[in-house]
Amino acid sequence: MDLSYTAEDQAFRQRVRAWLAENVPRQKLITMEEKKAWHRKLYDAGFIGMGLPREYGGRDARPMEQAIVGEEMVRAKAPPPLNGLGIAIVIPTLIHHGTEQQKRRFIHKLLTAEELWCQLYSEPNAGSDLASLQCRADLDGDEFVINGQKIWTSGAHNADWGLLLARTDRTAPKHDGISCLLVDMHSPGIEVRTLKQISGSGEFCEVFFTTVRVPRENLVGDLNAGWRIAQTTLSYERGGNTLSRYARMLQQVTRLLEVCQVLQRDGRPAIEDPLVRQKLGQIYAEMEVLRYASLRILSRLERGLRPGPESSLAKLHYSELDKRVQELILDVLGPYGQQVGGLPDELALVPGVDYGEEGSWMYAFLWSRAGTIYAGSSEIQKNIIGERVLGLPKEVRADRVVAQTAGAARGDGAD
Amino acid sequence: MDFEFTEDQVMLRGLVREFLSEQCPVSHVRAMMDDSRGYDRDLYRRLIQLGMLPFPEAYGGAGLGMIEQAIVLEEMGRIPYPGPYFATVILAGGALMASGDRRTQARYLPDVSNGDLTMSLAFLEGGIAWGPETIRLSLRRDRDGYRLDGIKRFVPFGQSVDVILVVARAGEGRSAEGISLVAVPAGTPGLAIEPELMMDLTSKTATLRFEGVSVPAENLVGPEGGAWPAVELALRQAAVGASAEMLGAARKALEMSVDYAKVRKQFGQYIGQFQAIKHKLAEMLELVENAHAAVYYAAWALDARAPDAALAASVAKSTVNVAGRRVCGEAIQVHGGIGFTWEYDLHLYFKRAKHLEPLYGDTEYHRERVLQEVLAGRVAGSA
Ligand SMILES: Cc1cc2nc3c(=O)[nH]c(=O)nc-3n(C[C@H](O)[C@H](O)[C@H](O)COP(=O)(O)OP(=O)(O)OC[C@H]3O[C@@H](n4cnc5c(N)ncnc54)[C@H](O)[C@@H]3O)c2cc1C
Repeated sequence: MDLSYTAEDQAFRQRVRAWLAENVPRQKLITMEEKKAWHRKLYDAGFIGMGLPREYGGRDARPMEQAIVGEEMVRAKAPPPLNGLGIAIVIPTLIHHGTEQQKRRFIHKLLTAEELWCQLYSEPNAGSDLASLQCRADLDGDEFVINGQKIWTSGAHNADWGLLLARTDRTAPKHDGISCLLVDMHSPGIEVRTLKQISGSGEFCEVFFTTVRVPRENLVGDLNAGWRIAQTTLSYERGGNTLSRYARMLQQVTRLLEVCQVLQRDGRPAIEDPLVRQKLGQIYAEMEVLRYASLRILSRLERGLRPGPESSLAKLHYSELDKRVQELILDVLGPYGQQVGGLPDELALVPGVDYGEEGSWMYAFLWSRAGTIYAGSSEIQKNIIGERVLGLPKEVRADRVVAQTAGAARGDGAD
Repeated sequence: MDFEFTEDQVMLRGLVREFLSEQCPVSHVRAMMDDSRGYDRDLYRRLIQLGMLPFPEAYGGAGLGMIEQAIVLEEMGRIPYPGPYFATVILAGGALMASGDRRTQARYLPDVSNGDLTMSLAFLEGGIAWGPETIRLSLRRDRDGYRLDGIKRFVPFGQSVDVILVVARAGEGRSAEGISLVAVPAGTPGLAIEPELMMDLTSKTATLRFEGVSVPAENLVGPEGGAWPAVELALRQAAVGASAEMLGAARKALEMSVDYAKVRKQFGQYIGQFQAIKHKLAEMLELVENAHAAVYYAAWALDARAPDAALAASVAKSTVNVAGRRVCGEAIQVHGGIGFTWEYDLHLYFKRAKHLEPLYGDTEYHRERVLQEVLAGRVAGSA
């Protein structure tokens, strides 16, 4: 056990830090062109999909290097790259299950964000119980014909392509009749409606499919093997990026400590109030534990061990902790934490942001409610931990059929 | 960056686990609950002789670090081992090593290392505090030595160890200056030892009254009036060591609960099938794994003298205090009535964890310490 960074890792961190200091845009990125240009710059620097093999446009980077880049991006207040979900889910899906032609056609353009992707899994009646999805893909000669609806699809309004799970055999048990398809989001018959989120921004959408034609060559893996594919590739997403979540919380709480020197509470700076100090000490300790736990996961990944169902512990940990962090921040800041317009700069997380824009205390607070819902809710994670880590007997389920083989709960990475 | 144990560390854990499970079955633990000394000297000697001590080889130790001590203590928490290992090795041994006083180290540590000498550290007096301001026990020069007057409470195995290191103060002040450490053998005239009857019967403690206790000058450990840094470091190590022991107790309680949830049936199904129980167990696992990360990170930081060692120690103690109470408490809940019986072993872990919770800093104390360290900039990577 040695928890120090190697000289090599430290040197890498210095290089990343120097590059970011030089290149992080000073101005806020507003248009999609600006965001794509920044993404492209990150890609050219080798920071996008860097863990992927070189043959697919990655850098064969170690998990530690990826974690360092994630951390340094937050520290440098760099705008995030595009296609996060695509890189986390679509690329591993293609690498493991796609045809050579699919890999050549899609991976590079996804990495460079020339094409933006979305994940078309959830439906109005299929959330945690994803395998009950109803959206149909019927084979008609060389084409699938898609009919149905998806919902909560992040970024569908900007997406060029979507990774779709649809039902291709309605007679099979529910896990066995699903296929995985690559869908051109510009196809006729697709209608996208953005949904306004509680944060005030419109980042997820409803997607309606009416007789949308998808060529058969866009099928990933075998027909009706979609559930298994989704299960295996979803597990790739979790784990290694926990440190950047820590980095983000740290940034917010560090700023909170500064604000507490200024903000008066009972006639003295909040930082001198013993009750506030208790809360700050508690939350800081909790964040440190997240950092330690992240290092533990990272060190396993470095040894080439896959986290497996244990990644549910990490997901449960950081998403629930984020809610506690954000609640604490609003506790300490009182109404100032909920103020967006007119908040004095010395009390702001980032001065001058608008309602529905990233950078306010409020926005971070509201978003913390999403983390325990998407990518498998906390309740689903606890089921996975209970059944697959602790080995507890499965709960009694009303939908179990004999032929059903795949795992019950969704371990997905919807974002 | 490597958070996995080395082969040697894995072997050490295996060795201690095997020794304790064979030599210290729960029947022995229960027998010691009714024993006035609270431990078996022979078992203690053999345990010490396993060769896992943190002292230099010149003193008969194995030169191991805090990570190894955490492993040993975690295993002890799983039993829970009744005896003065913590008192002797972590508290007194830690203070001796931190004092840098070679003469006293050479005087005691060889006997400690072969198991012939047991020791403890007397810190708490009236009230609850872990800073120098709480120390009032008076130390005065007295012909060729020192005279001690005052009271110490909650001295671990104070009724049955051979030598007690006493934290004392010369003069009236409240600051760190003036704090001295003095070795007082049990049986010294003027020292009255009263066993305390505590909730955890496997962890004995005593009240020590000092009335004109005289010790020779050579019993002073480290510089007169300058012992606080050594005491502070020993307490910091003790906080991490106690956390490791609580982690062991909590993991054991979790394992028992998971096993029970797989066999106990109600309403025609295993109780582990109910989400109310399953989710509780998942949360307990999260607490235990986080406690593991916190304990071993802190142990590493102490060994590596990392800039955030003090921060990490306080993170660990405040984290494991909460984990210990929740995991051991919920374990009783998962078991239902059987968990509330004297005969079932769960309360042994519940009580051991609770015993250690207020010692070497409670949760609030360490949260405040966390904030102080952060505001002072002593965080990871700050050196
Ligand atoms: C911000 C955001 C972005 C998203 N982006 C995407 C995206 O890009 N693509 C996509 O496909 N999806 C996306 N989702 C959808 C997300 O994956 C689903 O919301 C999630 O799977 C939960 O499904 P649901 O909303 O239908 O809730 P439900 O499944 O109906 O759950 C409601 C409640 O019931 C609980 N529950 C359900 N089943 C169980 C059970 N077996 N045991 C115990 N409790 C249970 C849940 O934990 C939850 O508390 C996104 C969601 C959010 C919030």
